[in-house]
Amino acid sequence: MKQLVQRAVEILNDIGVDYGDVRAELIRTENTDFRNARLDDCRTVETEGVGIRVLVGGSWGFSACTGMNKDDVDAAVERAVDIARAAGSRGKVELAPLDIQQGVYSGPCEIDPFEISREDKIALLHKASDEMMKDPRIKNSFAQLWFEKRDRIIGSTRGDLIETDLVFSQPALMATAVAGGDAQSRALQDGARIAGWEWIEKSGIGSWGEKAREEALMKVLADESPSGEMDLILDGLHLGLTMHESVGHPTESDRALGWEANMAGRTFLDISHQGNLRYGSDMVNFLADNTLPYGVATWGWDDDMVPGKKWYTVKNGIFQEFGSVRETALLMGKKTSTGCCRAMNAQCFPINRQPNFYLEPPENGVTPEDLASDIDHGIWIEGRGSFSIDQRRENFQFGGDLFWEIRNGKKVRPLKKVIYRSRTPEFWGSLDGIADKKYFRTMGLLTCGKGEPMQSARMTHGASYSRFRGIEVGGGK
Amino acid sequence: MTKQEMLEFAEAAVKAAGTLDAVAVLTESRNASVRFGQNRITQNLDVFRRELQLTVGDGEKQATVNSQKIDINALPGIASEARGLLATSVPDPEYMSPVPEGQVYPVIEDAWDESTSQCHAAPRMEAVGLVIDTAAENDLLAAGICRMGYEKIALATSTGNLVAHRSTSSGLSFTMDKGLASSYIALNGTSWSELNTNSAITSVTEQVKLDEGAEELEPGDYKIILEPQATWNLLMFLPWVMSARAADEGTSVFSGMEGKKLTGENFTLSSSLLGGRPGNPFNGEGLPAEDVVWFDRGILRNLPCDRFTAKKTDRPPFFVPDTVDMAGGHGTVEDLVAGVDRGILIRRFWYIRFVDQKTLKLTGMTRDGVFLVENGRIVKPLKDFRWNWRPLELFSNMLRVGTPERKAAGMVPPVVFSEQHYPFTD
Repeated sequence: MKQLVQRAVEILNDIGVDYGDVRAELIRTENTDFRNARLDDCRTVETEGVGIRVLVGGSWGFSACTGMNKDDVDAAVERAVDIARAAGSRGKVELAPLDIQQGVYSGPCEIDPFEISREDKIALLHKASDEMMKDPRIKNSFAQLWFEKRDRIIGSTRGDLIETDLVFSQPALMATAVAGGDAQSRALQDGARIAGWEWIEKSGIGSWGEKAREEALMKVLADESPSGEMDLILDGLHLGLTMHESVGHPTESDRALGWEANMAGRTFLDISHQGNLRYGSDMVNFLADNTLPYGVATWGWDDDMVPGKKWYTVKNGIFQEFGSVRETALLMGKKTSTGCCRAMNAQCFPINRQPNFYLEPPENGVTPEDLASDIDHGIWIEGRGSFSIDQRRENFQFGGDLFWEIRNGKKVRPLKKVIYRSRTPEFWGSLDGIADKKYFRTMGLLTCGKGEPMQSARMTHGASYSRFRGIEVGGGK
Repeated sequence: MTKQEMLEFAEAAVKAAGTLDAVAVLTESRNASVRFGQNRITQNLDVFRRELQLTVGDGEKQATVNSQKIDINALPGIASEARGLLATSVPDPEYMSPVPEGQVYPVIEDAWDESTSQCHAAPRMEAVGLVIDTAAENDLLAAGICRMGYEKIALATSTGNLVAHRSTSSGLSFTMDKGLASSYIALNGTSWSELNTNSAITSVTEQVKLDEGAEELEPGDYKIILEPQATWNLLMFLPWVMSARAADEGTSVFSGMEGKKLTGENFTLSSSLLGGRPGNPFNGEGLPAEDVVWFDRGILRNLPCDRFTAKKTDRPPFFVPDTVDMAGGHGTVEDLVAGVDRGILIRRFWYIRFVDQKTLKLTGMTRDGVFLVENGRIVKPLKDFRWNWRPLELFSNMLRVGTPERKAAGMVPPVVFSEQHYPFTD
């Protein structure tokens, strides 16, 4: 793979492009899926290919092929250069400076999941699935183990050469109960980590079958949500999605530049807001961290070959900086990229993606129950459910996966069909309590869709239980 | 690869499997696109892909390997991996052997345009240049994508079925912005030459000006007028959730509803292989596609049904062949607007998601053009708003249906719905 990259880089140097990089990736994925307690999919997927990105006269050209065939790579090099030339001067690309990068990065992986036998994986899922289906009111169940080994080499005409190998692991499980003319689900939603089999063991998927069954049944039989202005207690898995939609996306630099206006949308932020716009209460500190251990955006370098960085997106409630790539950093008034350039695979052009980021938790000894004790009437929400936000990332509506009504400081009854609505700065401005960092929990997201042609990307978000005041709650029936 | 080469490769993959049952699907695609934003090109792509999917079975269990090593010498290794995976699998009570021999597949010639398949760069650059230059001349910012490409697919089964299909596609979609005002259009076609780019550019440029100075919508009752793009954004959720199995399990809005009237009589939804958007003649199992009426004048006639559920419940095994048409009437968006006394015209929806799957309640936002209509005329632009609606209720209350247009996966009309009360949330 390395020789193929170096050879293509040599050809680009011979042609004399202004800049070129060659990214080869070999991705091996393994799926074991159970549906309704039967093995539904037993599969391996090998994705391999080479992507060539060139700059000629300020315009990009990108071509790619599947496989590692030398002739196909040569043809891709030729196509990339041809279409860059065809673009003439409509590109205007200027890249932020970056020192030459060379090195090797391996993600953390204690127990190689590809060394665990398929029989053991099937047995684990079978047990969890059988547990879910023990009650006849569970009409649908899903359980999955998913693993990926991703080897990547990028070389450039500047002399950069990086090699990375990452292993991703994800357990998933969901039970759907049907009763009283309604259907409700409960799911394990911690998502993926850059880690090995140790993450599967730690996730507790083996014991989640019973939990998913009982909580799905509790939910389908629960009362529907009351409506009105209430306080909310939201857990880390729930907030992971809320922050993804209302903080991660609006702080992408390509949106601020209007490059996503046709598809993923724009942002309510503009470049002048960096360093001065109030995004939330003083308690709100969003730390972006592409060095986060087990974070699914911790790749050593991004696809611009910018090393993983750590920075505040929001500090003490004030918006600090957009996430950027080398092409957008200068346009955002910054000297360097934050390192947010990633592609779905070698056959995709790398674009501006969200980093790992999280709501920084305090060391204050506060428990989630302490937070609830100060609420007269509110809702306790765990996990993710319905979600929707406008294309400027201001006006949102979220559901959840498990709900409890809070009365006079206590959880009093389970609920279902809860949704809440708010606007981004008002919502984060209403945050007035965060539980101790020992309640911090992350979710690793593999399927953030963006771009045209659509690409999915990965990032990890997290938070401790947090309290929000005076939020509009409506029924979702 | 030629059709013959692809068929031979798929057949060779099945032979290499050496298992009782096998299905091989070989795909080849090329996608060339130019993406632009802020009146500059931001991506310029030409991507070539090939992939083999080999599913093997022994009569009671199965396993699948996907590989991008498209080389006859790689087949023994791929087949060996598939057999190894099969050995670790467990019996599946829903196991289905490949479709029996002698399947007859529809032939869809109109899905291919030779010129479009060549993916020449010049037409893309010319179209994008025209969009960008027109935007700049009018002090607007354009963003969008211009694309063309092809996909070829060949399928072989161990039961002796062998079939291939190829299709091309083209598209141009873009927004133009002036401050908070914006407009949008999406053209879709089989060939590049069928896209009317000049007309689209003129239309979007003019529509941005109409969107300047948008105001909040006042609470009240309004008829809802959807442009075809918005109809498609809403309609596409129906084929996503239509499933005979989900209906039987009780998790769907369609549970116990087959044969019943769920919408108004002016709502008919069907898939036609030779319709405005050519369909795929077979699915990944080698099952032939056929024309299906899903909703017939409001009555739910059929649901997509996998082969196991079909066998178990004595239904025909149907799938959506990547094309869905909503029956229309006559009239342009302008004609529909002219007949509305008080309503809201919506160009496009955004971020539609389920609120409640069991009742098919959805939420979403408007974007890139919302207008107040009074006495048959657009009187002012409106700010985007959120809605929580049940599409089956909306399609039960269609006052008028216009002439269908081709959108991403089928033909859809502009529609006028009866009054809804704003705010459109609970």
